[in-house]
This record gives sequence, structure tokens and C-alpha cells, in this order.
Amino acid sequence: MIDRFLYLVSEGIRSLWRTKTTALATISAIGIAASFVVFSAVVGENISGIIQIARGQYEFQVFFSKDVDNIRAAELVDQIGAIEGIMSASLITKEEAADIFQREFGENIFDLLEENPLPPGSVLKLRQPKDGRIDVNPIIKQIELVEGVDEVRYQERLISLIERYYEGFFAAVTALAAAILFGTVILISNTIRLSIYARRDLIRILKLVGATDRFVRFPFMIEGILEGFFGSLVAAAVSYGFVEGSNYFLSLFTQYRLVWQFQIVALLVGVIVFFSFVGSMRAVRKFL
Amino acid sequence: MISFKNVSCTFEGGAGIENATFDIEPGEFVCIIGPTGAGKTTFLKLIYMDIFPEEGTVGVDKYRSDKIKKRSIPMLRRRVGMVFQDFELLKDRSVFDNIAIPLHVQGVGMKMVKDEVENVLERLGISDRRDHLPSQLSGGEQQIVSLARALVKDPLVILADEPTGNLDPAASLKVIELLEEINRDGTAVLMATHNFSLVKDRGYRFMQIVDGEVQT
Ligand SMILES: Nc1ncnc2c1ncn2[C@@H]1O[C@H](COP(=O)(O)OP(=O)(O)OP(=O)(O)O)[C@@H](O)[C@H]1O
Ligand SMILES: [Mg+2]
Repeated sequence: MIDRFLYLVSEGIRSLWRTKTTALATISAIGIAASFVVFSAVVGENISGIIQIARGQYEFQVFFSKDVDNIRAAELVDQIGAIEGIMSASLITKEEAADIFQREFGENIFDLLEENPLPPGSVLKLRQPKDGRIDVNPIIKQIELVEGVDEVRYQERLISLIERYYEGFFAAVTALAAAILFGTVILISNTIRLSIYARRDLIRILKLVGATDRFVRFPFMIEGILEGFFGSLVAAAVSYGFVEGSNYFLSLFTQYRLVWQFQIVALLVGVIVFFSFVGSMRAVRKFL
Repeated sequence: MISFKNVSCTFEGGAGIENATFDIEPGEFVCIIGPTGAGKTTFLKLIYMDIFPEEGTVGVDKYRSDKIKKRSIPMLRRRVGMVFQDFELLKDRSVFDNIAIPLHVQGVGMKMVKDEVENVLERLGISDRRDHLPSQLSGGEQQIVSLARALVKDPLVILADEPTGNLDPAASLKVIELLEEINRDGTAVLMATHNFSLVKDRGYRFMQIVDGEVQT
């Protein structure tokens, strides 16, 4: 069982070696194309990190529900202030809210309405972690869970501007990745087809001596998967070069550095290997 | 062991085999003769189920052409050894590796492969050619290697399609003698040839294909 597996894998490697020129071209093509995706994804991850920093640096405004009075509001502020990651929480009473309203809109709320309809609230500052990176979403979630909290707002304008660009960028990278994966399937399947044609004699003999279809196909599958695997390693190396190059360039005028994202590379290797498998499968199904 | 019942397998232009019925027993040595285009290769292909008859059934061991499933065909071929006029060896592999292929196909372990291949090399007297490539061998030696490849899986029958077609008389005789030796050890041999003078006085059972009719 193990022996047969080893034999088939060594047949796959032998087959890869036989078609090494084509294989090399395929590996480089996949590697270079995919390195753009990896690099873009690394940049994307870094931008999303910047967004998080930007979020963390602003104040949060918390609005309580209408039925919360000032006394209850003070209790809620203590409760929120105790949440992990929050540095300070100060109370805005109903009256202070009305003052702020007057300052911003130039109208006294009591001139418009008999009663003060503004809820009390709180202004929060976040504790800044050392590396400046902070994920605000779980903190917001926790605040929202506190009974009596109606809404959490944070400085959204700049952040959402960055986020909009980021979303466009993300969509572009996703489209590029999809195109490259599709290309991988086609490329691998073509390379394997060539390899199958180059090994017609072997295939005929294997079938004559009683090889099952699976036995005949397996080495070609291995060959395609190896090509995808090596291609993704090339992509990892090239994109690492891009990141280092960009950091050198950045170092000329800022302190900011791109941070290498290992999990993106791991994901890429997995996905490309999978699509190489699909490509090889396509070839052996069609041409064997 | 091999039985044809009313087998017809014809091609456009009338060539092929028509309504053939006969049996071949284990351990027999059968020689199929007939002029070129008579249908000898067709006959052998029917046995290893590369083609199927239009009518009638071909039975080999426990397999029947009208019942066999596609995935059982490899199992049938493991019971049948094949030798061809043009050897069909892999040019980029050593004699040892060529002979080992049928064993790897059957999932035999590495150690066992080594033992069995060396055994058959010994038996056919080509141990000293173990690591040669086919291109480094004479035609006769290449045919012996392909005979070794057929023999290594211990088949019920060896099908030889013009095994001496590309060989000089001395090498032809050598191959014939090896086939006889293999036959004496109990393996049936079914050989197609148009070199009648080479085989005529050797006491085989003859089958002749004349105008699609198999005469035995
Ligand atoms: N796939 C096919 N399609 C059409 N005709 C075929 C096919 N295979 C064989 N034939 C025809 O069937 C006839 C018998 O062919 P076969 O190869 O069995 O002859 P043979 O006796 O082996 O000849 P030779 O001694 O030259 O090898 C020939 O006329 C050949 O042209
Ligand atoms: Mg023939």
C-alpha cells in the first residue's frame, strides 16, 4: 500500500522531470501571476490595519435609550468604563446633551419642544495598545450589549472614506485572484495534457498490463499538484521581495512599514494546490 | 480457460473473424497462422478485451466479454501476459524497471518486486542485462525482456503477436525455445505468426484463419 503510493509519487516526479521545460514555464507563470495577488493582499491587510488604528484614535459617542435617566446613566457609564480596552468614559447628562445641541445647531431645544427629548450619553476614549493596532469591533459589540445603550457612534467620516477605497481595492484583488485561479486550472490542465501526450507509450503499456484508470491517472495528478505547489512557492518568494522592496521605498520618507502576512501565503498555497488538483483532474478526465 | 462461442468481429470491407467456436485448455501451446490481414491480431485483442465481438461471447478465465464490467478489464489483463512484434518497452527505463511495471501495477511491495524480477531475469538468462536500457540491447534481447515482463506476473496464458516478426532466424529460434520452456512449466501460450516454416514441425496445435473462418 505504502510501496504503491511511493511508486506512484515517484512516477509523478519522474513525469514532472520529463516535461521540465513546460513545467518550469507553468510554475513561473503561476508564481509571477499569483505573487501580484499575494502582494496586493498583504497591502490590503496592512491598509485594514491602518483603518483599525484610525478608528482607535477617535472618541466614541454612546447614546443611551430615552427611558434612561441621569442617575441610571451614571451607573451605565461606570459599567462601560470597566470594559476591557476602554481608557475613560465620561457622562453626558440630558442637560449637557441639550447644551451640545444648542452649540451645534444654534437653537435651544426647549424653544422647539416642551420637554428635553435628548437621551443622556457617554464619551469614551480607547486605551491604545503598544503597536497601535486595535480591533474596535468587539469593543463596540460589548458596549452595545449593555442594557440601556441605544447606539454607539465613532468618528466615521475619514474611516469610511478609507474603507470605501479599501472595499474597491479588495474587490479588485478578489477579481484578480479569481482570474488567476481560473488561469491556473487552464494552465495546469494544458501542461498535463502535454505530459499525457508525451507519455502515450507508458499509458498504453500500463493499460495492457492491467493498470486501473486510477493507477494511470495518479502520477499525472501528482505532477499537476506539484507544479501548483512550486508555483505558489515562487509566488511567496516573489511577493516577499515586493514587500521588502516597498519597505525600502517607504523607509525613504516614512516610518511606516508593510508587515508580512504569513497566513495569506499559507492560504494561497492551499488554494493554488487545490486548483492545480482541479486542473489536473480536468486533463486526466478529458485526455486519458 | 479460453473459449470462443459463435464469435464474430468484422470490420468494414469484410475483414475480421466470423462465427468462431473453440476452446483452449490450460497449458496448451497454440499457434495462430494466416496471411497478413487475416485477423490474427484481432483474435488476440478479443482475448485481452481490447475489442469486443459483435456477436457471440469470449470467455477468459472467469471473465466473459458480454458480462465484464469496465473496471474488471484490468483484473483480466493481470492474468494474461502480452508480447508484441515491436516489443513495446519503455525506452527511458532499464530492463529491471520495464519488467517491474506489471508488479507495481498490482501493488506488489518493493522487496517482492526485486525478488520476482530477479527471478525471471535468471530464468530467461538475461540477469547481466538488468541495468541496460532497451536501446543498448539487440532486438532478440529486447524481445526476451518483453517476454520477461509478460511472465513476471505469472499469467494463465501468454499472448504473443508475431514475437519473431522483427528478429533474425537465430534470435527467432531463441524466443520460440523460451516460449516452449515457459509452456513446459505450465503456462499456456497463444502465438500468432506468419513465419510458418519456423513453427511447422514443433508439434503445436495450429489454428488457421482463412477468410474470417477459424480452422482448428
Ligand atoms: N479498428 C479497425 N477498424 C477497421 N478495420 C480493422 C481494424 N482493426 C483491424 N482491421 C482490419 O481487420 C483485418 C484483420 O486485421 P489484423 O490486424 O487482425 O490482421 P493480422 O492477421 O494481425 O495481420 P498481420 O499479419 O499483418 O498483423 C485487417 O484487414 C484490418 O485492416
Ligand atoms: Mg497482426
